[in-house]
Amino acid sequence: MRSLKKIISLFSVLVAMSCGNVLDKQPLDKLQGENLFSNPEGVKLYMANLYYQLPIEDFTFFRQGFNWNTGDPNNGGFAPAMVTDEAVHTEFGDFVGDGDFQWWDQGYKLIRDVNILIDIIPTLDITDDERKALIGESAFIRAYTYFALVKRYGGVPLITAVQKYEGNVEALKVPRSTEKETWDFVMKECDTAIGNLGDSWPAGERRATKWVAYALKSRAALHAASLAKYGDRAPISGTAADQKLVGLDKSAAAEFYKAAIDASEAIISSGKFALFKPNPSTPEEAANNYRLLFEDPNNAPEEALFIKGYARPGSGTGHNYGIWFQPNQTANGWPHPGRMNPTLELMDVYESYDKPGESAPITTSATANDVTDYTGFNASKQYKRFDTENDIFKGKDARMWATMILPGTSWKGQKIVIQAGFIKPDGSTQIMGGDPFTVNGKTYYTYGAADRTKYSGFDTWGGNNTRTGASFKKFLNEGVNIAPGWNQCITDFADFRYAEILLTYAEAIAESGTGDKVKGAKALNDIRRRAGHKAEIALTINNVIRERRVELAFENKRFWDLVRRREYHTVFNNTMRHALLPILDLRVTPAKYIFVRINVPRSNPSTFDYRQYYRSIPGIGANGLVQNPQY
Amino acid sequence: MDWFKTHNINTMKKLTTYIPALLLMLAAGACSVDNYPAPNAQLYGTFLDAETNEPVEQDIIRGSTIEFIEHGYASQTKQTMIIKNDGSYRNNLIFSNTYTITPVRGNFVPMTPQEVTVKGDTQLDFKVQPYIRIKEANISKVGTKIIAKFKLQQTVLNNVRKIGLYAHPEPSVGEPMRVALVEQEINGAIDPNKVYQLELDLPSNSNVLKTGNQYFFRVGGIIDAPESKFNYAKAVRIAL
Repeated sequence: MRSLKKIISLFSVLVAMSCGNVLDKQPLDKLQGENLFSNPEGVKLYMANLYYQLPIEDFTFFRQGFNWNTGDPNNGGFAPAMVTDEAVHTEFGDFVGDGDFQWWDQGYKLIRDVNILIDIIPTLDITDDERKALIGESAFIRAYTYFALVKRYGGVPLITAVQKYEGNVEALKVPRSTEKETWDFVMKECDTAIGNLGDSWPAGERRATKWVAYALKSRAALHAASLAKYGDRAPISGTAADQKLVGLDKSAAAEFYKAAIDASEAIISSGKFALFKPNPSTPEEAANNYRLLFEDPNNAPEEALFIKGYARPGSGTGHNYGIWFQPNQTANGWPHPGRMNPTLELMDVYESYDKPGESAPITTSATANDVTDYTGFNASKQYKRFDTENDIFKGKDARMWATMILPGTSWKGQKIVIQAGFIKPDGSTQIMGGDPFTVNGKTYYTYGAADRTKYSGFDTWGGNNTRTGASFKKFLNEGVNIAPGWNQCITDFADFRYAEILLTYAEAIAESGTGDKVKGAKALNDIRRRAGHKAEIALTINNVIRERRVELAFENKRFWDLVRRREYHTVFNNTMRHALLPILDLRVTPAKYIFVRINVPRSNPSTFDYRQYYRSIPGIGANGLVQNPQY
Repeated sequence: MDWFKTHNINTMKKLTTYIPALLLMLAAGACSVDNYPAPNAQLYGTFLDAETNEPVEQDIIRGSTIEFIEHGYASQTKQTMIIKNDGSYRNNLIFSNTYTITPVRGNFVPMTPQEVTVKGDTQLDFKVQPYIRIKEANISKVGTKIIAKFKLQQTVLNNVRKIGLYAHPEPSVGEPMRVALVEQEINGAIDPNKVYQLELDLPSNSNVLKTGNQYFFRVGGIIDAPESKFNYAKAVRIAL
C-alpha cells in the first residue's frame, strides 16, 4: 500500500509539473559534439551511425520501414516483393496501404545528423585528404537520403545546414522545393561525392567510394528520367501538382537519361568492375554462379560495389530472411517458414533458351487460350503430362532455378515436395484437401507426403506452405541452418551491383534514343551470357525491362520500377495474381504430373490507386507543408 | 487463511478511497474538455446530365470525387466525398457552414468551384456534361455468352480510349470492381450511329461466373483526358 501511495503522489507531482517549463533546458549537444569530433575515432563512430541509418532497401527493409531487426521484428514475414507481381505471402492478402513505405521523420533525423557533420568538417583538425573524403562521404549520405525522400514524397524541404531553435518555431519551417529542384539537389550531391571520394578505402572498408557515388547517381537519374517521361501515364492534379511539388516536365527526361548514361558509363569504362563469372558453359553452372552471388555477395567483389553487412546474429545485427522464407521442410524448428511465394507471373517472364528475347509463359496444354485460362482443372482438357514435378520448367532461364525452389528440386539435401493434389484413375479430382487414397497397394497423399514436415506446398496449416507452386531461394544459404529465433541470419546484401549499372545503362540508352546503342546492347547481352544465354538480342525497352525483372528479382527494385515507369495502376487494376498447381495424374500408369494455372488460392484482386504514386506527408498540421494530391 | 482475508478487505477499502482520488486528479490535470458540437447538417444530391437530366452513373472505387473546403479555417484542407454508382451522394455528418465545393477527377467536363451554404438538410445537384453517353444499351444472355449492344455519343473532341463490359456479384460493378471483363480498345473518335457489341464468354470465366448464381453486368467507356473516369450505362442483373 505504501508503494501505491508513493506512485500516486509521484503521479500528482507529474501532473502538476506538466504545465511547467521543464522542457526549456539549454541544449547539451554542442559540447558533446565537439568532444566527439575532436577525435578521428569519434568521427568514425559517428559515420558508422550515419551508414546504419542509410535507407538501404535490403533484408531489413519492409513496409514498416528500415532496419526492421530490433525490438520485436515480427511482421509475419510480409516482404515488399509481396505488393508487386513478384510474390504473394502464404496468408496475408495485403496490398499497398497508405501508411506503408513511409520514411519521413527518420529521413529528416538522418539529414540533421549528416548536416551536423557537414557543418563541423571545416573546423576539424585533419589532413586535406581526410577532409576531402569526409566532404564526399557526407554528400553521398545526403544524396542517398534525399533520393529516398523524393521518390516517396516528390519535392521536399531541402535542409542544407543544421537548424537552430532560437525561440521562433516559424523560422524552422522550410517549405517544399519543387520535385525538379529536389532531384537536381540529389544530382548535385552525387557530383560532390564523386568529386571528393577516392577509388577505395585503405583497409577495404564498406564505405562510399567515387564508384558507389556514381552508382547512386545512375540509379537516381534513371528514376527521375522515367518519372519525367512517363508521368503523363498517371496525371495528377491538386495544389501540390499546381505548385510543381510533385511531377516533372516531360522535357526533363533528356537531361536525367543523360546523367544516368554518363554515370553508368563512368563505372563501366573504369575497368574496375565486372560481372561475377561472366561465361558459364552450361545453364546449370550459370544457376550455381547466380546462387553463389547472393548467398554471399563477398564471393563477388568485382560485381558488388557496395555491400551492407550483417556482423553477427542478434538484435540490430542479424536479419530474418533465413527463417521466414525457408520452405516448410527445412524450417529447422521455426514455426512459420515458407512465406515468400513467387508468382506464376514471375515464372512466366523467364525466357526459354530456345526462344531468346521473349517471355516463355508456362503452357500446361496445347489449348489456344491455355495461358489466360484460370478456371481450374478441366477434365476435358488435354494436359501435357510430365515425368517429374519440374520437367515443365526445363529449358527456362537458369536464374529461375536459382531464384525459386521449384517443385521436386533438391534443397539442403532433401527433395522439396510441392504438390496440390491428384487425379484418381476414375478421373475424379482431389485438389487441396481430402483423405489419402490407395490404389494398387500404393497410398497417395494430397500434398505428396503423409507427414506435414515432409512437404512444402498448398496445405494451409500454419501458413507455412507455398500457395503459388514455388518456394523462395535467392539470398538463402543452402549450407547454413539458421537457428529458429529472431535476427539469426547474417547474409550480407549487395546494395549496388554491376549488373544493375549495366541494366540502367541499357535502359537509359533505349529510352532516350541517345548514347552508344552498340555498347548498350553489349551491356544487356553480357548479363544474359552470364545467365547461360548464347544468342544475342536487340536493345529494346521490352528486352531491357524483362531482363531487369529476372536479373533483379526480389532485390526490392520491382516496386520502384512500377512506380517510376507509372505502370503500377495498369499492372494492378483489379488484378489477381496467379499460381501453378502441380497435380499427380493417376489416370495413367506410371503416374505423371500435370499442371494447372489458377488464381492464387484464397486471394483477392488488388488495385493501385493513382495517389499512391506519392506517399502522404506526415504532420502537415504542424509542419505547414502542402499535402500530396488526394490525401 | 483468516489473516489473508482481512488483509484483502483492508486493501480493497483503501483502494476504493484511492481510485476516486486518482480519477479526480486525472480530471483536474486535464486542461480542457472536448465540448465541440457534433456535425449538425446533411448534404446530398445527384450528378445529372445537363442535357438529358438523367443521373450520371459513377464508380465507388477510383471514381469521380467531390472535394470540399470548409470556410473559416486557415488550413484550407480539402475533404472528399465519393459517389454511389447511381450518381447520388450523401454526407450526413457535415457542419453547418459555407463551403467551396468542386467535383473533380470525374467522368464529366471539369467544373468550376462553387460556394455553397450548407444548413440542415441541403440538396446540391451537379449538372455536368458527361464525356460519353452510353445510349440504347442492351445486355442479355445468349447461349453461353453475355452480349452487350449499345451506341456511344461523345461530347468532347478527345479520343475514346476503350469500352468494356464488366461483371461482378455486387450491383456496384464497374471497371475498377469486376470479376470478369471484356474490353475493346478504340483510341479514336466514335461513330454515333454504330452499334457496338461486346461478348463475354461464360465457359472461359466459369471459375468466377458460376452457373446458378446471378451477377451484375455493366457497359462503359472512358475518354482520353487526364484523370478521367469511366462513363456507364446502368448495371443489369442476369441469372446464369
